[in-house]
Amino acid sequence: MTVAPSFRVLRCASCHVHFLPRPGLCPKCGSRSVRPELISPAGRVLAATELHGPPAEGAAPHRIALVELSGGVRVLAVAPGRLPALGETVEVAAVGDHVELRSEPETSG
Amino acid sequence: MAAVAVGRVGKRPEGLVDLLAEVGESALEAIGRKPIDLLVVGTMAAGPLAAVESVVPASAERLGLDPALGWRVEAASASGAAAFQAAAFELLAGRAERALVLAGEKMTGHTTAEVTRILARSLHPSEQAAGATMPALASLVAQRYLDRYGADPASFDAVTVQFRQSARGNPNAQFPTPVSREEVVRSRMVAAPLHLLHCAAISDGAAAVVLERGDGPAAVLGLGQGFDAFALVDRTELASFRATRLAAQRAYEMARITRKEVDFAELHDAFAPFALIDLEDVGICGGGEAGRWFLDGSTAPEGKFPVNPSGGILGRGHPVGASGLLAIAEVARQLRGEAGPLALPDRPAVGLAHSIGGLASHNFVTLLGALAGREP
Repeated sequence: MTVAPSFRVLRCASCHVHFLPRPGLCPKCGSRSVRPELISPAGRVLAATELHGPPAEGAAPHRIALVELSGGVRVLAVAPGRLPALGETVEVAAVGDHVELRSEPETSG
Repeated sequence: MAAVAVGRVGKRPEGLVDLLAEVGESALEAIGRKPIDLLVVGTMAAGPLAAVESVVPASAERLGLDPALGWRVEAASASGAAAFQAAAFELLAGRAERALVLAGEKMTGHTTAEVTRILARSLHPSEQAAGATMPALASLVAQRYLDRYGADPASFDAVTVQFRQSARGNPNAQFPTPVSREEVVRSRMVAAPLHLLHCAAISDGAAAVVLERGDGPAAVLGLGQGFDAFALVDRTELASFRATRLAAQRAYEMARITRKEVDFAELHDAFAPFALIDLEDVGICGGGEAGRWFLDGSTAPEGKFPVNPSGGILGRGHPVGASGLLAIAEVARQLRGEAGPLALPDRPAVGLAHSIGGLASHNFVTLLGALAGREP
């Protein structure tokens, strides 16, 4: 199953590298010529952790995952639902100022 | 290096300037109060943590100094190493004859949550937005290390056990009590695979050194700094720190020595797995091999390459802005034969001090030893 491109990144017109939207220049070659592009939100979990302590206040631990998307773009994503397994395929989405893992799709009847 | 002073690390009632003045006073006393023309102070977050700024004139006033030059230097958790290197470069450039380098941090008196938040300001904004903290990112690095090399997680425990054992002989250490592997594993989980005893504590403390032009057993042989992408996600390598590899390479080049001539090191172990990564990054062993070195005792004080005979950050404590200078001071004390109960069985000739800034975005390597007798 292919996933429709929905995750917004920047692509450098000079060296063609994809990177996360941010102010400034291409992190690889320093070019100013960058444009937005949508890529697949599917990626593989490289590492994930459950943080017991700050910034989690209260009972629920804060979870974050390091995800590699197709094309080699890596994102640090909040994992609101559960701790994903290493190597697991997940989908990411931008939510406000950060990125989150999407909750699993509802199983249709 | 003309004098070295290390203050007691732990929970201290004094303020930051008091801590800096205490070690500064000891160092000045040791050189008979000869004039200082350069004062460099390293601290990471004096304002947010200690409610004080302008630490250079404040320290100068307290110590009765009238320097010609003075800088405050910040490089996150490597501020103390950065301050030392800045002073050394000024001396090498001939702009000063004698420098006092102070580094300190006052961290207690806040909740752990507040301190964690302040330290996380040295991370990339996107990482802060995701709620990442130092331990969170360190745990991701640790997982990549374990995954990449199939490393034994028990090697992380061995790091803590060794450093806590060494800290027993350190009168300035915050944690002079040894711990067993079981205690490390049973300590509460902070961010898997990191338990509490794999992580640096919150500490107050300071160190001071006086640098003069000339030779001695702890002369500056090499100074190196290196950078990596600010954000972890932008780094090519996640199980090794490029910033350390570059800093080490540059320090070795300046010193015109190879890693084989280094006798021991004080490495930045804010998280136990970093000690493994550091040992590999400074070239003492190959990628994925450091765990075995810690497990078989090669890095113990009597081993073939002693690491952190002072107890390191895990044993000594981690007043963040001071830690880089504490590492340099502990290396110098070994070389100068002033390490007292911490003295290595064989007095070393060349030592390496390593310091990590932020989450290894800007790191430092300092090589100390005698200049005399070296190949020109």
